[in-house]
Amino acid sequence: MDATFFKKLLDQNSFGYAFLNQDLRIRTHNRHLARFSMRDRNLEMALLTDLFPETVGLDQIFEEIFEQKRFSFELTHMNRESDEGQTIYFNFFLYGTGNKDIPYFFLVEDKTREAELAQELSQRSNEIRLLEGLLSARSGNVSARIWGQSLPIENLRAQIEKMGRIPTATILLQGESGTGKSMAARVLHESSHSSDAPFIEINCAAIPETLLESELFGYNKGAFTNAVTDKKGLLEEADGGTLFLDEIGEMSLPLQAKLLSFLETRKFRSLGSTSEKEVKIRLIAATNQDLGAMVKERRFREDLFYRLNVVRIQLPPLRDLGDDILIIAQNFILTLAAEFKKPVNSLDKPAANKLLNHNWPGNIRELRNAIERALIFCEGQKIGADDLHLGSLQRDEPSSSPLDRFKLPKDGLAFAAIEKKLLEDALKMSNGNQSRAAQLLQLSRDTFRYRLEKHDLI
Amino acid sequence: MTATRIQKKICMLGIFGVGKTSMVRRFVFEKFDDSYLSTIGVKVNQKILPPQENSEHKMIQHNLLIWDIEGFDDKTKPLNNYFIGSAGALVVADLTRMESITSLPTIFETFQAVAPEAKLVLVGNKMDLVDKEAPTLVELTQFAAEGDIAFLPTSAKTGENVEAAFQKLGLLLAD
Ligand SMILES: Nc1nc2c(ncn2[C@@H]2O[C@H](COP(=O)(O)OP(=O)(O)O)[C@@H](O)[C@H]2O)c(=O)[nH]1
Ligand SMILES: [Mg+2]
Repeated sequence: MDATFFKKLLDQNSFGYAFLNQDLRIRTHNRHLARFSMRDRNLEMALLTDLFPETVGLDQIFEEIFEQKRFSFELTHMNRESDEGQTIYFNFFLYGTGNKDIPYFFLVEDKTREAELAQELSQRSNEIRLLEGLLSARSGNVSARIWGQSLPIENLRAQIEKMGRIPTATILLQGESGTGKSMAARVLHESSHSSDAPFIEINCAAIPETLLESELFGYNKGAFTNAVTDKKGLLEEADGGTLFLDEIGEMSLPLQAKLLSFLETRKFRSLGSTSEKEVKIRLIAATNQDLGAMVKERRFREDLFYRLNVVRIQLPPLRDLGDDILIIAQNFILTLAAEFKKPVNSLDKPAANKLLNHNWPGNIRELRNAIERALIFCEGQKIGADDLHLGSLQRDEPSSSPLDRFKLPKDGLAFAAIEKKLLEDALKMSNGNQSRAAQLLQLSRDTFRYRLEKHDLI
Repeated sequence: MTATRIQKKICMLGIFGVGKTSMVRRFVFEKFDDSYLSTIGVKVNQKILPPQENSEHKMIQHNLLIWDIEGFDDKTKPLNNYFIGSAGALVVADLTRMESITSLPTIFETFQAVAPEAKLVLVGNKMDLVDKEAPTLVELTQFAAEGDIAFLPTSAKTGENVEAAFQKLGLLLAD
């Protein structure tokens, strides 16, 4: 058999090949070679390492082949982007010819089919294992974001981690005000959804009844007087993610009925629309009320209660957490001190005792506020008992931060008057010390002074 | 003074899915993609590093040939031929998967058997997904310290430390 036979054989099977001189320059080649090479013309006398950068660094191999210490060398599944943007795969082989003028024979074989099959196989099994890694990293974050090590907290953590792995449709979070229901909802969301899935949050107590309905379900243009355009409801915004309904106990009975019907069918109708929409969401509802008791008083629908109550997570009150109070306080000190750029790093003993003996009607939120205020007043590295003003805000108003209770009166209110009052109060509380007053209002000194001037308080 | 251009081959090593392809894509094309496409075989990319001075005060400029190699997973497929002629390697572990760290000794052994002189940099990738106390990060930092290997946490997603990791390897290659 002569050389033309082999040439034909290789050409017909789409092999590329070339003979190289000792400097690794192409002496002769067939037309198929160009398909795999970095360049598609002027291959003659080009350097192999330019056309196939995969051969850079193989000096040792070339030498061994030249000296006939080695007969061949092979690299498999090299990837290359074709002109059409597709990935082609090839194997290449180097052989010694024994001919001093053209000592090397370079052969390229198309392996695209085979590699595509291998790709599909590995793709599938690898994807699953990657996802597992991602989920466990996320649940690691769960443990990190729920502070404490008492039994109630360990239980809570275990429950949240479990819920992160099971795609339940609804979850009810029950717990006193300030126990971290909103944070728990967010952690539940993050541990079971990809980072770009929506998390939509709405407080049913903060929004008037009629508005709540249109917020949730959306409306079509013309549904009511002010509906000048279509508006997507939060149910739709949350599609593919989580809708968090805080203070669900405040929802009116008719709206409860509408929500129940959605939970049963997963379909809803926007206001003024004739067609139904279907969405895939997880609903997390939260309440600080005893929904069971509300059912008895007919203030909450029994059927909705049972639907929500299937998976219930109880958030423990702070007073039941024992020494966790100190762990949580310490975490707040570290994070808030960094934020306020204060060199405070711990509590002294009397301060710790004071925290342990308080009964925390406003729970974690109250603790956070107490630490925040203490940091403003604390001058040393340790917060002392005197820096902690417990119960002053909470005694007669157990529910946490004053903002929660503030509501705009029906006939409005002058914004400037409130601003002035806040500035005056802050100055009074800090005995005229402007830096402290600014800190109380979380304003920079410059902003604070600007506002004082605006109200002629300087 | 113009810098001397030097071609150097470096390998990306690590088990599947740790982010080798993503690191290269971030470094060479300044892009990132959340979707995953498993790599079969090798894809070679080039990137020219900025000129730098080597220990003999000569200006040199590296043209890196970056070998993005499939994961060290299929035990039946020997990858040894891929490593021949490497001047260095970027070894990638995944901070969300401990298995990517326990596999490191085998990876180092296999690679160094072929390229004993190659310079090494170890990275813990996907730092955007874990916090600073993550057990994987602690483990990896310790592993690097014990083996006296240059180590950096990286994120191909945010780009953090990606350039720095390649630069670091470039610096080691210069000597
Ligand atoms: N969040 C995050 N994801 C990453 C990072 N690096 C890679 N990934 C993702 O991890 C998966 C595997 O990445 P890939 O680069 O293909 O890994 P390879 O098998 O080592 O080449 C892909 O879905 C990437 O989008 C990172 O730094 N952060
Ligand atoms: Mg890859």
